[in-house]
Amino acid sequence: MAETDFLAQYSIQRWLEMCPQGYLDETTYGHEPGLTEPEDLLANDDLREASIALTVQLIAGERAALAASSGLVNAAPDHASKAFLATQTLDEARHVEIFTRRLIDLGVKEEDVDSTVNDLANPNLVKFAEVLLEKVGNGDFIAGVVGQNIVLEGMAFSVFELLQATSKDLNPKFAQTLSGTIADERRHVGFGENRIGSLIREHPERKADIERMQAEMSYHMLATFTDVFRGSGPTMDRERQAAAAEGRDLGSAEWHGTDVMAASTEDIEALLAGTVINEFKTRLGRIGIEYQDPKVPA
Amino acid sequence: MTADVSPAFEPHQLDEEEFLREVHSFSFWFEAVEGYLEGRPYGADPELADEPMDGDDRDRLITTLCNYCVGEVTALEASSGLVRLAPNHHSRIFLATQVADEARHVEVFLRRLDDLGVLDGEAEVRARANPRLEEFRQRVLEMVDRGDWEAAVFAQNVLLESMEDTVFRFHASIADPVTRQVLEGVIADERRHLGFGENDLGRRLARDPAGRERLAAIRAELDPLVLGSFDGVYRDLGLSRADQPSLGRDYLAAVERLGLTT
Repeated sequence: MAETDFLAQYSIQRWLEMCPQGYLDETTYGHEPGLTEPEDLLANDDLREASIALTVQLIAGERAALAASSGLVNAAPDHASKAFLATQTLDEARHVEIFTRRLIDLGVKEEDVDSTVNDLANPNLVKFAEVLLEKVGNGDFIAGVVGQNIVLEGMAFSVFELLQATSKDLNPKFAQTLSGTIADERRHVGFGENRIGSLIREHPERKADIERMQAEMSYHMLATFTDVFRGSGPTMDRERQAAAAEGRDLGSAEWHGTDVMAASTEDIEALLAGTVINEFKTRLGRIGIEYQDPKVPA
Repeated sequence: MTADVSPAFEPHQLDEEEFLREVHSFSFWFEAVEGYLEGRPYGADPELADEPMDGDDRDRLITTLCNYCVGEVTALEASSGLVRLAPNHHSRIFLATQVADEARHVEVFLRRLDDLGVLDGEAEVRARANPRLEEFRQRVLEMVDRGDWEAAVFAQNVLLESMEDTVFRFHASIADPVTRQVLEGVIADERRHLGFGENDLGRRLARDPAGRERLAAIRAELDPLVLGSFDGVYRDLGLSRADQPSLGRDYLAAVERLGLTT
């Protein structure tokens, strides 16, 4: 497909037809109107707090994506790229909005949202965002799009898929919310791969710097996974034990060949990290960038 | 997308925080634009036929649309830059909707240029850009770059939007049917953007009345560029002096009515 034809697929008009008039039609905050968080989750402080902590990480990631995509508009070399980034800005704002809404649905007072996000956002996730936003702040379009649309969005895509698999039966509201974001992220990753490939070919001298950024972001991403799974593991174990004692069936959810409802937190972390890194390798390879292994987090 | 738009729903009855959350949300934005964009891909009904246009009229319309693109690109670049400066969640969400609106405006004007036979719209915009508008753009982007929220919101969401609203409404009244439809959709967006600027700055000035002097100084700096660009509009629309409307006066009156600088 010629580049102009490819870019036409990312117009505002196409976005309006696909997204708000398409898979978001008849939804409220990304889900069917009337759906609520499950009663047993809201009644269980342990689970509710774990859900709040998880949702905060989603908000922190989406806030970074919103800052990056809006910040890249001015650095884009042509209107078609600006138009796509404008749709992405609005997508990311919507994600911030729906995850913020979830935080409120989980019992966080609206006036406490910012302080809750500041208190609970994982420091490694914050550093991950800072690496990206430094490139964006410098008006570096190529590095910014690789960092945002391949690394950040690639990570978000797999995390959302995993969360959706585990929520499908237990929390349809959250699973539906994630479905729309997954569809958005797929489009964002597609743009990153397609638009940046040609720019990397024109500017091969940028590869080394971009690979360094990717390694640094990957390091902080893996450290975030470690922290989050370490933090949520005990809650997950207690919930599984309680369900077994009460004879409740938590069901099964297969993701990349593993039943994540039965797997240990260590196994799920390894599965997620491996999936994201494989995706990085594939997608970076398509644009001519070689995936760099990060230092192993402590 | 569904927002609370039942007949009984009246956002102005909400308390301030709830009101801002509602009117600055993605859902509210989509409910607003869906009404006037449905069935109008790229801003116009595809069944609407273009009227025959002579060469001079076509050329003048191309210049006019190129300068509309300059204004809209300014708004796109400024609003996207303002996202990071937004003081709260609601403002950030609203500005993200504005970013998409402004990008859509550039897109529909470029598409109209394409309809008129322009092969490289972006190059044509650069070639035909009014220097006064370009200077205005530079000034606004400098405000955004130095992180001056109040100045940038005033310049973009009040002055630029008032200028565009004044010009677009006049042009829509005399335009060919396709251009008129395109302009109608843009005007509807501009009103929302102007409302945000008026609301945000109005609240700030209520807390800090001394801010009016600062906004007045910015206005004194930028008004000549706006008024100068109107001369270009008259020329581009092919109006004789006798036919020229008082766009400048209308613009000044529109800004004055907001009461942000007096």
